[in-house]
Amino acid sequence: MTHRDRSLSVAGLARVEGEGAMHVRVRGGRVADVQLEIYEPPRFFEGFLRGRGHTEVPDITARICGICPVAYQLSACAAIEDACGVTVGGTVADLRRLLYCGEWIQSHALHIYLLHAPDFLGYDGAVEMARDHRWIVERGLAIKKVGNRLMEVIGGRAIHPINVRVGGLHRVPPASELRALIDPLRRALADAVSTVDWVAGFDFPQFEHDHELLALVQPGSYAIESGTPRTDRGLVFAVSDFERHIIEEQVPHSTALHARLAGRGRYLTGPLARYTLSRQWLSPVAREAADRAGLGEQCRNPFRSIVVRAVETVYAIEEALRLIAAYQPPAAPAVPVPARAAVGFGATEAPRGTLFHRYGLAADGTIATARIVPPTSQNQASIEDDLRRFVEGRLELSDHQLTHDCEQAIRNYDPCISCATHFLDLTMLREA
Amino acid sequence: MSVLLRSLGPLVERLRADGYRVMGPTVRDGAIVLAELDSADELPYGWETTTGPGRYRLHRRDDRAAFAHAAGPTSWRSFLHPAKRPLWTADRDLAVTEPQPQPQPRYAFLGVRACDLHAIAVTDRVLGKVDGEYARRRAALFIVAVACTEPGATCFCASAGQGPGLDGAGCDLAMTELADGASVRYVVEVRSAAGGAVLSAIPTEAADAWEVNSAREAVKLAAGRMGRSLPEVDLRELLAGALDHPRWDEVADRCLACANCTMACPTCFCTTVVDSTDLTGDHAERWLRWDSCFDLDYSYLHGGPVRVSTRSRYRQWLTHKLGTWHDQFRESGCVGCGRCITWCPVGIDITEEVAALAAGTQVEG
Amino acid sequence: MGTGPTLAVWKFSSCDGCQLSLLDCEDELLAVAGRVRIAYFLEATRATAGGPYDVSLVEGSVTTPHDVERIHQIRDQSKLLVAIGACATAGGIQALRNFADVEQFRSVVYPSPEYLSTLDTSTPVSAHVEVDLELVGCPIDRRQLLETLGAILAGRRPDLPGHSVCFECKARGTPCLLVAGGVPCLGPVTRAGCGALCPAYGRGCFGCFGPAATLNPPALVARLTELGLSPREVTRVFRTFNAAAPAFAAAAAPEEAEV
Ligand code: SF4
Ligand code: SF4
Ligand code: SF4
Ligand code: SF4
Repeated sequence: MTHRDRSLSVAGLARVEGEGAMHVRVRGGRVADVQLEIYEPPRFFEGFLRGRGHTEVPDITARICGICPVAYQLSACAAIEDACGVTVGGTVADLRRLLYCGEWIQSHALHIYLLHAPDFLGYDGAVEMARDHRWIVERGLAIKKVGNRLMEVIGGRAIHPINVRVGGLHRVPPASELRALIDPLRRALADAVSTVDWVAGFDFPQFEHDHELLALVQPGSYAIESGTPRTDRGLVFAVSDFERHIIEEQVPHSTALHARLAGRGRYLTGPLARYTLSRQWLSPVAREAADRAGLGEQCRNPFRSIVVRAVETVYAIEEALRLIAAYQPPAAPAVPVPARAAVGFGATEAPRGTLFHRYGLAADGTIATARIVPPTSQNQASIEDDLRRFVEGRLELSDHQLTHDCEQAIRNYDPCISCATHFLDLTMLREA
Repeated sequence: MSVLLRSLGPLVERLRADGYRVMGPTVRDGAIVLAELDSADELPYGWETTTGPGRYRLHRRDDRAAFAHAAGPTSWRSFLHPAKRPLWTADRDLAVTEPQPQPQPRYAFLGVRACDLHAIAVTDRVLGKVDGEYARRRAALFIVAVACTEPGATCFCASAGQGPGLDGAGCDLAMTELADGASVRYVVEVRSAAGGAVLSAIPTEAADAWEVNSAREAVKLAAGRMGRSLPEVDLRELLAGALDHPRWDEVADRCLACANCTMACPTCFCTTVVDSTDLTGDHAERWLRWDSCFDLDYSYLHGGPVRVSTRSRYRQWLTHKLGTWHDQFRESGCVGCGRCITWCPVGIDITEEVAALAAGTQVEG
Repeated sequence: MGTGPTLAVWKFSSCDGCQLSLLDCEDELLAVAGRVRIAYFLEATRATAGGPYDVSLVEGSVTTPHDVERIHQIRDQSKLLVAIGACATAGGIQALRNFADVEQFRSVVYPSPEYLSTLDTSTPVSAHVEVDLELVGCPIDRRQLLETLGAILAGRRPDLPGHSVCFECKARGTPCLLVAGGVPCLGPVTRAGCGALCPAYGRGCFGCFGPAATLNPPALVARLTELGLSPREVTRVFRTFNAAAPAFAAAAAPEEAEV
């Protein structure tokens, strides 16, 4: 068997959100072509947002992604509140951050335990893994459950919460409901710290990327629901300048919109970028755990993103505990957001990276233009680049092993294909 | 013999000390609802309501009256006949466990109006002999009734039977609220031995003749200020003869079949039985849950639902409540609380519907 | 892994939220995995087994020619086919394209629309193949999912009431927002299942569980109009996650429904 000409294909990528495929073609001992194909049909969100009312946007955009609906709701709120010249601050803003912590906890726990860890330990999935390591999977589920619980108390439910509105929330929880979460969160904190130690002991392939890293930064805290875009190479710009710096283009081999930094090229957003740019703002327990895990000042091995996610889970739990301890129900759940003709911009840190929204409003609040840039479309070029370099260094491996490793490499980025499907479509066959 | 209470605080404290869960009206989410009270401070002092078909609003009032509101979205039946409860559980070994006659919550209802007192009596005749759990809760119940001095626009207890006074109705204590300005007092009558015991354990004053009189007058005035009434005909006969009346089609056009009326009504008692099994397959449960004649599945017999149209379901509700209830229980199922009128999202008015049916008959006759 | 029936989970056009509901059953997930053989569930495992499958859960709506083929293949391979969520039972939010010009949407989102192959419509699974059971909601309710799986395993009928959200709202003891606050609420025409969540959080139901088994939208529209909603706003409230469910489509645009 020659390894000089071959093609590797995974028709249906497992353990990613949404459905995608991977194709690698090797010709003459060189990687000729790498594609992360996202063949989910597009859902045209930007198209049908036009003509809707400005208060409808958070509920509608939530449906882009069932795993990170809060990210969509809060990026949308940020952009619309920006357009209307309204700032939501104080305890209501804290409650939104708390809700977002819940999303980070559940999304990261899902990815660490159910989607990514099985790769490192050689299982097809978490259910298979649970046969040998039941208590570990149960620990992951317990952490995930606390995240969901937090979302349920503040948001009403974990998937597509119903309590977020432009201007604030519909209802603020009584302090007693949040206090009831303290004990479960404390237990989850211990579990999350153990998770960092556990994943830090996995075998990580030697592999480093050299992408520019982009994340929101909010001096004083680890950026979640707001911040200023910044890269590790010194680029800083306002959220309103996002589209001046980030160019999305459709690439011919698929129907993808790939993003790049204007004049700079591919870049990466997500946990690795956040960690590098905001490490100093981690809470003490999270920072200690990161140090123990040997993460250092920055982390450039995408395989170790699982460790960063675990550290961020610790952070989100500690942050939730801090916010709950300080909680006093605010007088009103929302401020009025009268419409005006304007354009607004919003960006937040979804579990998978920076999520940008822009809306143009007519005077009565009708949406005239909408633009959404999700993390997965920003990362796609970097994922493909990683794959190319990763495969090139491992051509001696069997197809089976290499395919497995490539899948794992893709899962490093926790790509959310449901989010990405506002930009991709490729017709292809697959097994029934 | 009447006594005077200047505060309900000691009464609530006493009842709680006696082991009762005190349930009463309190302001929550834009309405006066019935909920557990930790203290008398949670009563809706200084609030009143305006009601109309499909409309309910809270307002501040000038005095500190706590019982100047009309019926809220739920009734006392939520506690005596809760929305869902387990009937039995079974495990794979076929050991069927009926829930042990649980130590039932001992409820003290504070502020039961004439209509609702009447409704509890009606429900007693429906469930008292057939539903053990209801009977146990009922037997342990302590009732502090309050006469109505401020009937709402959708109230018609005077024409539905009893009320707004509390004469002859079964309760432990019967009181009338006298509010003027910042002061609020209660003229209280003992109606049972249990009531006497509770009252003797808290400080009271003798009510003077003027106070007793004012209380009586206020109730009498209220009877004349009912917002609505039922037509003065034999409703049982009227409805039995009106099954093909065109009015049913007309109301069916407006009716949402959403069941708010039956869910709000203090005498509606219909339930469904739901079986469930868990994922292990080793455990099964049977639950009793509120249902409604507006539920399509409620009339599901072999092969399909019997009452498919909204017309037939609305007709079932109204003819049962005001007509065939007489055949079943020798009285009307309606106590005139007005909840179904107020809490119908589209404001369908039972008194107006009956009046239309009655007018129709008269025309025909 | 269990020895019970085989379970497959399929995804069409959707947000992933409904199948995530299964992974969100943290307390029951391993119990489910012990009672069924997971034969195809890409979000959870890369191990896949060929059909036929005893139970298929289908998330998402049909939006491409390839989807049409695929749903027929899945139907052929499945003893019991359960459509889960508003996408699979009504076309989902993406069915808004059914009411507009898709060409226009395409060019708004994609600079080079010629690469896309998409049907003009987003349709529910039942528009293409026979569906044995439907779980509604955007997203589905986790308890209803567990109830349905438990029922399938026990061979009984799942308890999935067809009545309105108002039933649950009253049972929960929430004061009606429509009556007490004049807040527009779709609860009277929406199928129960969520536990009347939104009214308990102080907002009107926006119909994410789709039409109830019996409903009277014109009567509610009349009331919403009294509360001050313009015809355009009425159209909007019915055109969200179940826009293409026939009863909501008709309520949103009475004139068009006549045609
Ligand atoms: S029918 Fe209406 S007025 Fe009569 S008791 Fe029931 S809710 Fe009250
Ligand atoms: S029905 Fe809603 S939650 Fe379910 S997949 Fe579709 S968009 Fe997501
Ligand atoms: S708030 Fe909505 S769901 Fe609840 S009873 Fe009123 S109309 Fe029905
Ligand atoms: S109340 Fe209505 S919109 Fe809210 S979750 Fe329930 S069905 Fe969905």
